[in-house]
Amino acid sequence: MTAIYRQFTSPLQLIALASAGMIVLPLGYVLSQAFSADPAVWSRLWTTRIPELVSNTLWLAAGVAILTVLLGVSTAWLVTRIEFPGRRMWEGALVLPLAMPTYVLAYVYSYLLGFGGPVESLWQLLAGPQARIPSPHSFFGATLVMTLDTFPFVYLLSRSALLSMNVSFDEVARASGVSRLATLWRVTLPLMRPSLAAGVALVVLYVVSDFGAVSLLRYQTLTYAVYQQMTGRSDNTAASILSLLLVCMALVFLLTERWFRHRSRFYQTTGRFRLPVRDRYGWMGETLVTAYLTLIVGAAFGLPAYLLVTWSLSPEAQATVDDRFYGFFMNSAFLAGCAATVGVLIGLPLAYLANRKPTWLNLGCLQAAYAGYVLPGPVAALAVLVLCLHVTPFVYGSVIVLIVAYVIHFLPAGLQSLEPAIQQVTPNLEEVARTLGLGVRQTWRRVTLPLVRNGFVVAWVLMFLQTMKELPATLLLRPVGFDTLAIRVWMEATEEYYQLAAPSALLIVLLSLPTLVLLVSKDWRSGAEKL
Amino acid sequence: MPTPFSTDISPEKPRARLIKGALCALALLIPLQAIAVQAESLTIYSGRAERLIKPVLDSFSAKTGVRVELLSSGTTELVNRLKAEGDRTAADVLITNDAGSLEQARSAGLLRPLNMREVERAVPSQFRAPDNAWIGLSGRFWVIVYNKTLVKPHELRSLLDLAEPRWKSKIAIPNSGSEYLQAGISVIRATHGDEKTRHFLEGLKDNAGSEVYQKSSQIVDAVAKGQVALGIVNHYYVYRHLAAQPTAPLAVFMPDQHDGGMGAIMNVTGIGITKASKHVDSAKLLIEFLVAQAGQRLFADLDKEYPIHPDVKADPALIERKSFRAAQVPLTKLAELREPTLTLIEQVGLR
Repeated sequence: MTAIYRQFTSPLQLIALASAGMIVLPLGYVLSQAFSADPAVWSRLWTTRIPELVSNTLWLAAGVAILTVLLGVSTAWLVTRIEFPGRRMWEGALVLPLAMPTYVLAYVYSYLLGFGGPVESLWQLLAGPQARIPSPHSFFGATLVMTLDTFPFVYLLSRSALLSMNVSFDEVARASGVSRLATLWRVTLPLMRPSLAAGVALVVLYVVSDFGAVSLLRYQTLTYAVYQQMTGRSDNTAASILSLLLVCMALVFLLTERWFRHRSRFYQTTGRFRLPVRDRYGWMGETLVTAYLTLIVGAAFGLPAYLLVTWSLSPEAQATVDDRFYGFFMNSAFLAGCAATVGVLIGLPLAYLANRKPTWLNLGCLQAAYAGYVLPGPVAALAVLVLCLHVTPFVYGSVIVLIVAYVIHFLPAGLQSLEPAIQQVTPNLEEVARTLGLGVRQTWRRVTLPLVRNGFVVAWVLMFLQTMKELPATLLLRPVGFDTLAIRVWMEATEEYYQLAAPSALLIVLLSLPTLVLLVSKDWRSGAEKL
Repeated sequence: MPTPFSTDISPEKPRARLIKGALCALALLIPLQAIAVQAESLTIYSGRAERLIKPVLDSFSAKTGVRVELLSSGTTELVNRLKAEGDRTAADVLITNDAGSLEQARSAGLLRPLNMREVERAVPSQFRAPDNAWIGLSGRFWVIVYNKTLVKPHELRSLLDLAEPRWKSKIAIPNSGSEYLQAGISVIRATHGDEKTRHFLEGLKDNAGSEVYQKSSQIVDAVAKGQVALGIVNHYYVYRHLAAQPTAPLAVFMPDQHDGGMGAIMNVTGIGITKASKHVDSAKLLIEFLVAQAGQRLFADLDKEYPIHPDVKADPALIERKSFRAAQVPLTKLAELREPTLTLIEQVGLR
């Protein structure tokens, strides 16, 4: 092993340091710009925009958190504690909404619930021609869309908590004469608390950093405001200040998530563990359960997917599927491929060093790489932009800037898969291989690589697909001729040309479906951010 | 012959492979920079909606054989980008939806002064920079669009009246990042002063509530559906909507034409060649094409704008240009008026 260390340490160390620098420096630049801003700008923002933005952001986060818990826990409980026809199918179907980028769901719902849209027309048949439904371009709409898009996070965590929970606790409560509902409230839910908290923090992190849905639904949050400031003003001071607030907010939720995730490890049950027995409730119960799940999956995936397909088949949309469309697809694939490859290449030394030589320097580099979690798209773009203007102006406007922004933003997701992959390989295995006479290179090829390969593939695919869907950084940094599928969706959808946006949106959804398999079977947490 | 990579156990290999991989990835990135810069190709940064400008540029390509690379984005964003890129910019031409942004780009030294007889002949001097570093292409007016079933024209007079409480929850406005909103407010400030403008903006903000839109086409749509009674937009969005849906209950009111009124607020879209451009001849060809009668007719017919060329007629559906007055604030002043306008917008807290 020492031989391997010597071979790797110095150049790897340099790469790791450089990568960590590449990630932390931009953040530092934005923050320093915010701190050194004219106090007049601070006070102006503070008296005008900030209260509204912060409260809008927090209200949305709170609303979505509550609703995702309701949906996530109820669906998880149904598929783990009740037996009904098609249960296994529903278990998988509940993850499908994750394949819809938020901006796609947002534009579908702004059509469905919009003024004079199909839902309102239906409602007017019932309640008279003057009846109105609440506008989706509001707190209500943003909450609905973000909830439908993110509840699978809570669902997945709750489901695994319910499956790993020792059912004896419930049984003791029931045997002591506590009612079914009270057992749920007083025993099951408290046991799930750490998982729930982790799930909610994740959802909130996601909501706080979302750009696509809030911009299409015109709901003013901090992330949206950062984008507006960057595109509407000639200097970035105000954008930096708002970014600073946003980073602080995201950091709070990230730490919450980690803390609870850590705590949730303590409650693995030991001893007499039994899987829960799934109850049956007769045909009435089964119908109700199926109707409930159909409603949720239909609203979050089925109906939007149906609309996208119909719109894509319309003649207007078909006319846009030409060479240009193919070009957008290739751009998306190229950018995502580059970002994923660079991400894996950078992530490897970071994860390897932190695992094999856990010095404070190496661990620090790894933690720095997780900074992307607190840098929502527009902020990552702003950070890269500001740094690039000061330090490397010659790459401004090139593909490199955009890829750096992607890597910063999505590296944490990749690392979540890379890290366990490398941790799996104990140094003993490599040492054994060496004592049995394999050379360093053969050890690497025949022992290490096969063991970490899966983790790498997962990391690459996750980063690829998240980059493919990325919107704000692409909008702000794309070079000439680099419009992507996501950009096309946004351009058409912001002008409410629903049909024209559909083919690109549908393609993104279709490409995202395979990741869900990875999520469910592997480490689903990796895909948590911006999927 | 043994290849250099077939040597047996070499401890260098994993590292070498890693480095090779990194180099390959880099190698992939670099040539792309070169693709955009080809002879007989113009790179255009355009702040206009792609569907409004692309047909015009396509017909230019068809006529001249000059290929066009288009980056459509926000005007301010593109001016920021040009500033940042400086001499290294890939852009040959900047097209915007606002004269103020062009004048800002000119005063930042990003645009190239031009001496073109065609331009001087076709474009009246009030619609271009003194040194022709930017040239107006088409005119647009900030109008009130109203739903004929909800509003009668006699209820309307001036833009400033829209701040009155009677329009509460009945009006849609563009968001504060929109360049033509900024330009419009600049004109109001220059005419009426800061205090009156602030009062106007506060009322407007109250009345609009959450009906604040990113795109003018959405505002027109909302008015057509009756979601709001009226909106403030550039005139051509209304006529484009009517051209597609002739039965929509929409009408245009040209504001501030009463005695002592300031006149309608005008802005122009325009074009300038960047200082760093290496394709000046092709870029001049584009300008020639756009200011000539044929090019101007495209703006009139496709986009329903008012052509700048005095001999080209606007679409007959539009309000006759001679029948109304425009506000007396020179376009070149929009640039200097802008920063204080933005401060005011922010103080009022427009979205």
